[in-house]
Amino acid sequence: MGLVIGLGLALYLGWVAWPTEFTEADPSILREEYRRDYTLMIANAYVLDGDLPAARRRLYSLGQEAPDQWLLTMTVDAILAGRDEETVILPLVTLAHDLGLNSPAMAPYLDEIDSEPPDDVDDVQE
Amino acid sequence: MLTMFRSSRYQSQRERQQQEDDSAPPRIAAASFVLLGLILGVAGGLIYTWLINPVVYVDASPERLSDRYKDEYVFLVSQNYAATGDWERAQQRLEALEDRNLPQRVASLFERYLREGRPAGHVRNLAILTQRLGGESPALSLFGPTPLPPPVTPEPTAAASTPTATLLPTPTLTRRPTNTPRPTLTPTPTQIPTATPRPVYRLLSQERVCNADEPAPRIEVVVVDALLEPLAGAEVLVTWEGGADRFFTGFQPDQDPGYGDFVMEPDVSYSVTMAEGSPTISGLRIEPCPQASGGLPGGWRLTFQNLTVNEPTATPEA
Repeated sequence: MGLVIGLGLALYLGWVAWPTEFTEADPSILREEYRRDYTLMIANAYVLDGDLPAARRRLYSLGQEAPDQWLLTMTVDAILAGRDEETVILPLVTLAHDLGLNSPAMAPYLDEIDSEPPDDVDDVQE
Repeated sequence: MLTMFRSSRYQSQRERQQQEDDSAPPRIAAASFVLLGLILGVAGGLIYTWLINPVVYVDASPERLSDRYKDEYVFLVSQNYAATGDWERAQQRLEALEDRNLPQRVASLFERYLREGRPAGHVRNLAILTQRLGGESPALSLFGPTPLPPPVTPEPTAAASTPTATLLPTPTLTRRPTNTPRPTLTPTPTQIPTATPRPVYRLLSQERVCNADEPAPRIEVVVVDALLEPLAGAEVLVTWEGGADRFFTGFQPDQDPGYGDFVMEPDVSYSVTMAEGSPTISGLRIEPCPQASGGLPGGWRLTFQNLTVNEPTATPEA
């Protein structure tokens, strides 16, 4: 009986009252809506500072199995949904383009992007 | 016979007592087992819940991120606020952190970026975010006072319009000026620029310019921004008795982008000020340099710092 009570108490303590606090909880734990917003922030930050390795590292920290595909899908979704061009579509297209990704949906926006794909496109940081 | 009976009764009492004594240890053992089980259960359960099968947060909000990634998140918010100027969106994102000490967290991050020598743009954007959140940091003073308010266009209403001379009553000899009614301005919710704007620049340093090989009869002006980065295109006014001139920084390709200069004439005292507002530096004239520096005529180098931390311009999102 003591074993059962102790076990029950420990399950409550360990899972509810004092659960393990991971010190390295990364953005992969985020809900999808937050992950999408995080991706958009990565793209906007990239447009501002042009730091492609940092943008790639942040994108990979989202824990997607195929981060590039995730970005491309999100970019195309934003285009199809008619999101704001300046603050959403162009940053996403810019980052996707500079990471060497492409989609016919991005074509109309590529003329507005001056940047060329950087040389370190294949340098995977993680 | 009676003695035998008493002896037998006493003996049976002793046996009962003995039996009770024999039965006592099993009761203590049972309690110990319960306690031991409890301890083992708690220990085993905690090992299981903390180590073997811990809680794994999925579909979480940014509140669950580790401190390192929270800092990264805040940094991205500052960058995005700088890029889009959407303060409402920035606030929503920051609220997702559910951090009661958010202003101080952002201020600490700003200080850390400053200490680590991160790119000026990153530090500036964090400074802006810190100031918008009301965070406090001694380092913010390095970037000047709080950001200047954005330009305000006064509403074309009578209340907000500037009173003109014709609106002022003319004092007469029969009335004392103190009794003269004066037009009053009705307060409006819009910000009205003050009559005495705050200086945009401050003087960081004033040094002699000496050249051992040739005279240097010039006023050199170096202009930097709030982050001490060279600032091109800053307008500098030079005045002297009977004359005035102006020049801009950044027009000499072989020099720093924040550099500009003006050649002085002998025996003329010049005053220099930044066109957008700064302390006026007067009494600048050609003076001989010390012998150790060549002894030739020399000039002055003034370094001005722009105190404005620019607010991003809002870009509405669809």
